[in-house]
Amino acid sequence: MMYSFKQRNWPALVALLCCGVAHAHEIGTTRVSVLLKEDRTYDVEIVTDASALAEKLEASAGGSVPAKLDPAGFQVLFESFGPTFRQRVKIAFDGAEVRPAIAYSVAPPIDPTSATAATIHLTGQMPAGTHHFTWAFGWTFASYALTIRSAATDNPATEWLEGGQSSAPFALASPAKPLNRLHTAWLYLKLGFTHIVPLGLDHMLFVLGIYLLSRRARFVLWQVSAFTVAHSITLGLSMYGIVAVSPRIVEPLIALSIAYVAIENIFLSELKPWRVALVFAFGLLHGMGFAGALKELGLPRSEFVTALLTFNVGVEAGQMAVIGAAFTLVGWHCGNRAWYRSRIVVPASAAIACTAVYWTIKRLSF
Amino acid sequence: MRSLGFRRAASLVVAAIALSRAPLSAHDMWIEPGTFGPAPHEIVAVKLRVGQDMLGDPLPRDSGLIRQFVIVDASGSRPVVGRDGSNPAGFVSVPQPGLAVIGYSSNPSSVEETAEKFNQYLKDEGLDAIAALRAARHETGAGVHEQFSRCAKSLVLSGPPGGAQGDRVLGFALELVAERNPYVLHSGEELPVRLTYQDHPLAGALVVAMNRLNPSEKISARTGHDGRVRLRLRPDAGMWLIKAVHMIPAPAGSNAEWTSYWASLTFELRATSGEGL
Repeated sequence: MMYSFKQRNWPALVALLCCGVAHAHEIGTTRVSVLLKEDRTYDVEIVTDASALAEKLEASAGGSVPAKLDPAGFQVLFESFGPTFRQRVKIAFDGAEVRPAIAYSVAPPIDPTSATAATIHLTGQMPAGTHHFTWAFGWTFASYALTIRSAATDNPATEWLEGGQSSAPFALASPAKPLNRLHTAWLYLKLGFTHIVPLGLDHMLFVLGIYLLSRRARFVLWQVSAFTVAHSITLGLSMYGIVAVSPRIVEPLIALSIAYVAIENIFLSELKPWRVALVFAFGLLHGMGFAGALKELGLPRSEFVTALLTFNVGVEAGQMAVIGAAFTLVGWHCGNRAWYRSRIVVPASAAIACTAVYWTIKRLSF
Repeated sequence: MRSLGFRRAASLVVAAIALSRAPLSAHDMWIEPGTFGPAPHEIVAVKLRVGQDMLGDPLPRDSGLIRQFVIVDASGSRPVVGRDGSNPAGFVSVPQPGLAVIGYSSNPSSVEETAEKFNQYLKDEGLDAIAALRAARHETGAGVHEQFSRCAKSLVLSGPPGGAQGDRVLGFALELVAERNPYVLHSGEELPVRLTYQDHPLAGALVVAMNRLNPSEKISARTGHDGRVRLRLRPDAGMWLIKAVHMIPAPAGSNAEWTSYWASLTFELRATSGEGL
């Protein structure tokens, strides 16, 4: 729909267009702009039809419709109706009404057929410690746009109001400041860690599967390194959009990779070269899984690389925590026992395999 | 004649009520020409006003809302021209003496209303059947989505009045048609008005007339089975507004529960030496 305010009202136009086309609103000529300044002062500018306002002011005081007035006449009339005008204008901070200073100005119309516009400024100081601004203007019947600009926000907020309707509370405080690099790093480190412990049971079981093959540190190190390099590659490539594989494919394959590693543990007690290659390949899959999770969490545009790297480091820390816990609980005490493999490795791997097979079937069926 | 004090007090009450209901979503809408008595070829500004009790705000021209915006006289029908977004909403000229009809009909606007405001509005506009229907449906406490359309007309007279001059049917969804030229009414005579909905007489609708200078003293009547009312206007000079509202359940798929049509008719009664109004 078309709509026109003559001066700097394109945000209102955008808001109006967003309201939809099929059912328009009857928009009057009144518009209200609010400026909430950094020094905690406010300036509310009302631009409205001078003649319509004068009629309503006169009528509400029981007077007759004023004769055609020139701008100076309007100015005198408005100033004489100051207390009346205040009765239907409400500026409130945290619900408590304040009393602004009011200044009227009436400019001559730009051509003889145009209406005379009155510009009214309401100014004052925001009370200390207040957090929300609300507005109501009872001197218009038609819909009007309220635009609020604040030092705390980059973009003005526009709200359409019916005459007399109160605006939604507008927050005076700054929105949360963008995270700095250190905060981002710490946040995504934690997110990466918790994505493994305690949230990523499948990844935990995969890492346990790697650990259970052999308690030799060299074997564990080779597998973990292959896994880490691989998942770092696909995590990065996925986050930059270079690789994109549907979770419907990735997630069942991750479950299958866990089953494979666990089943192989039952039949194998030595690190074979293909095992490292397979763990690398599985790492590529898991990296895509991590990317899916990270996309759901969202990455700050300004600290994309920091967040990506620290998330990955968090994932590594989570994996190390799993291996460390396993070593502390069973590896340290029982690793050298003759029954370690038969009573710990095989049953644990079998349990992991069963769980992973179940997950594979479940993930394939959704 | 009533005292000035009484009128002043009445105006005060009307203004206070009108303004206190400012959040009320559905207000009257009427056409206010720059003059009701233009000279031939005079260019007349056509202002659209939205408000209550004849206290109105200007409504700038909005091509997205306009369904029909025309002037019809003896020489035919012409569009009311204007620039989108401008106030006044348009301009007309009447090329020859006679009665001309300015008409504005709008596309639907949508509004959301609380139960309290909607119930009050039904009461104010005499939409008793809708209130009863809501009560029967146990919806009286429910807020509503409403679509409303405007069907506004104004009668302007260029040159001297004549008995042969008359209002014209513009084919609006809801339309008030003066069945006698109001510019030739004499004191004490009634103005017969017909209300039609989709070109058929609308029975039982509340038709209200008010004068610009004294809007508190309304004259109202409900239409008969033939959609007609006879309004005995006071001999108050100045602009008169006659209005009626009709509401129906909104058609399915319209995202509203109710659809309303707001008809208005404005004209001017001129101060005379006693013979006329």
